Amino acid sequence: MTRPLEDFVRLVIPSEPKRIAEADEFVETALRDHHVPESLISDLAIATTELVNNAIIHGNRKDVSKTVTLSLQFTSKDVTIRVQDQGNGFEPDRIPDPLAEENLLKEVGRGIFIVRSLMDDLTFERAPEGGMVVVLRKSLDSP
Amino acid sequence: MQLTQREENGVAILQPKGKIMGGPDATILRERIHDLVTDSHLKVVIDLAKVDWMNSNGLGILISGMTTLRDNNGDLKLANVTDKIQSLLTITKLVSVFEAYESVDDAVASFGTPARD
Repeated sequence: MTRPLEDFVRLVIPSEPKRIAEADEFVETALRDHHVPESLISDLAIATTELVNNAIIHGNRKDVSKTVTLSLQFTSKDVTIRVQDQGNGFEPDRIPDPLAEENLLKEVGRGIFIVRSLMDDLTFERAPEGGMVVVLRKSLDSP
Repeated sequence: MQLTQREENGVAILQPKGKIMGGPDATILRERIHDLVTDSHLKVVIDLAKVDWMNSNGLGILISGMTTLRDNNGDLKLANVTDKIQSLLTITKLVSVFEAYESVDDAVASFGTPARD
């Protein structure tokens, strides 16, 4: 007997950069288990690893005593992915425009822009218990 | 991510394989490019044929390598850019920054013939 698929899955990892691959594998496995089209899986993996990187490096400042919580919620139409850190938060509106001439050759600062470009919705929330929650949503219809 | 390296006509060719998403794996590519600069290998081609995808971390490594090489009168050029990476280069406007070629041979040839002793 096969186990029914969970519509909600969650992973909690310590804030170590080496854990990013674990987060990617968790997300890609969940997406494939839910038969998400391959054409969408890489976009969702790119977006999720951007957010997990940000949570580990900028949110929790690589403090291994702090965790990053990653969850996926599936419906028949879409997937919602939440990435929560335990940091002090940030103002998304204050992120410099990575397309501006003076920023084009900067090594960092494109992550959120790329996520916005690839996903259908991206929102930022302050968690009641502290920390930042970044929520993305993607329709599961093939492009 | 795995990384292999070879040389043709004085041009170092790096071929990463897998995903470039940040973490310790991606650091290997960054350090290899900077080691090449230290060793005065200033003509570098990154063959992206076997890269499944990269995020902004990977783009940052390519930019860092390219600017470091250009600052030292060298260059970093791309070959075999996949559709997925091309899409990222386009939306981030980095397509205007990198020289990209359809094959490694074309990228190597773009550096010209090395001078004979």
